[in-house]
Amino acid sequence: MEHFGSMLALAAPLGLGLAAVGSAYGIGRAVGSAMEAMGRQPEAAGKIQVAMIIGAAFIEALTIYVFIAYFVAMGKLG
Amino acid sequence: MLVYFAHVLAIALPKAMPWLMVAASGGHGDDHGDDHGGPGHLPSLVFYIEHYLQTGWLEQWVNVIYAFVTAVILVVLAQVAYRKREMMPGPFQNAVEMVVEGLYNFFHSILGKDAMRYTPFLGTLFVYILINNWMGMIPLGHSPSTGLEITLSLALLVFFYAQWTGIRRLGVVGYLDHLAGQPRDAITWVMVVLMFPLHIIGELAKPMSLALRLFGNITGEDTLIAVFVGMGIAITPFIAEFVGIPLQTPFYFLGLLLSTVQALVFALLSTIYILLMLPHEEHEH
Repeated sequence: MEHFGSMLALAAPLGLGLAAVGSAYGIGRAVGSAMEAMGRQPEAAGKIQVAMIIGAAFIEALTIYVFIAYFVAMGKLG
Repeated sequence: MLVYFAHVLAIALPKAMPWLMVAASGGHGDDHGDDHGGPGHLPSLVFYIEHYLQTGWLEQWVNVIYAFVTAVILVVLAQVAYRKREMMPGPFQNAVEMVVEGLYNFFHSILGKDAMRYTPFLGTLFVYILINNWMGMIPLGHSPSTGLEITLSLALLVFFYAQWTGIRRLGVVGYLDHLAGQPRDAITWVMVVLMFPLHIIGELAKPMSLALRLFGNITGEDTLIAVFVGMGIAITPFIAEFVGIPLQTPFYFLGLLLSTVQALVFALLSTIYILLMLPHEEHEH
């Protein structure tokens, strides 16, 4: 496997980018809906914000897992 | 202005000592002992001490050392604030009281009347993680949250505390009932076979996700800053060796924001995990 290193060097950042695209879409939807809800009911803004942050953390965690896998892969690259 | 000089100092020091470029911009030095792929980070004070003393073991303890530094800072702050209490608080006592009251109000909005019991633990968690995250922005500092051992131990602390809370507040039978999904009729009793392992896996996944989230976020942030520091030095090879362009300045603000959000998320999710273990009847809103 002489091309192992170059394949890994291509694939790992690409995977991270793909994960970031998915997370960005998810967080965009979550925050957009939260903003709409806050605009409709400003008195509930605090509760909505807390729920939004929790949701965003869960969505973002998926990218972070890929990020850790990325570092593991990069470690293999040497 | 002071912050700006701190940046210049942070980039001037690695520039002055060429061997540090290895630590700032790549992370595969000769004795680099990180087992998680070795993401680049800025050289810390421990790194310099290790370089002069050549102990060989000091650098793998860097996260633990800085975690202790954070703890000492917090203990000293708390002691100073607690010793000289006055009815008319000065600026310092006022600030500390504001933080404590803000945290209490925040947890009260989630936990209700149980907040008084759990605020000391959760609030300390928040402040500790916040200072831990910010340690990476101080010149010669290092964020302990970039080590999986620190974040995982914090997450395990939350895990065991949440389980203990469940056992104490629900009783052993109630706790098992909670894990089994509270079976009340024939169908849910059948579902117990499915729900029980599912709940246990879910409980075990919580600390993993807590630890990995904090670790990944703060590592990514510090790596980003370190990469831009290296870049700022690399693009000015023609100027004197103490000078670089502080390209990382915008990312410090991003880092300040991210660190706060991550500390908040950690404390918030811990609150939710504890809330899920409390008796449900009291918390119907």
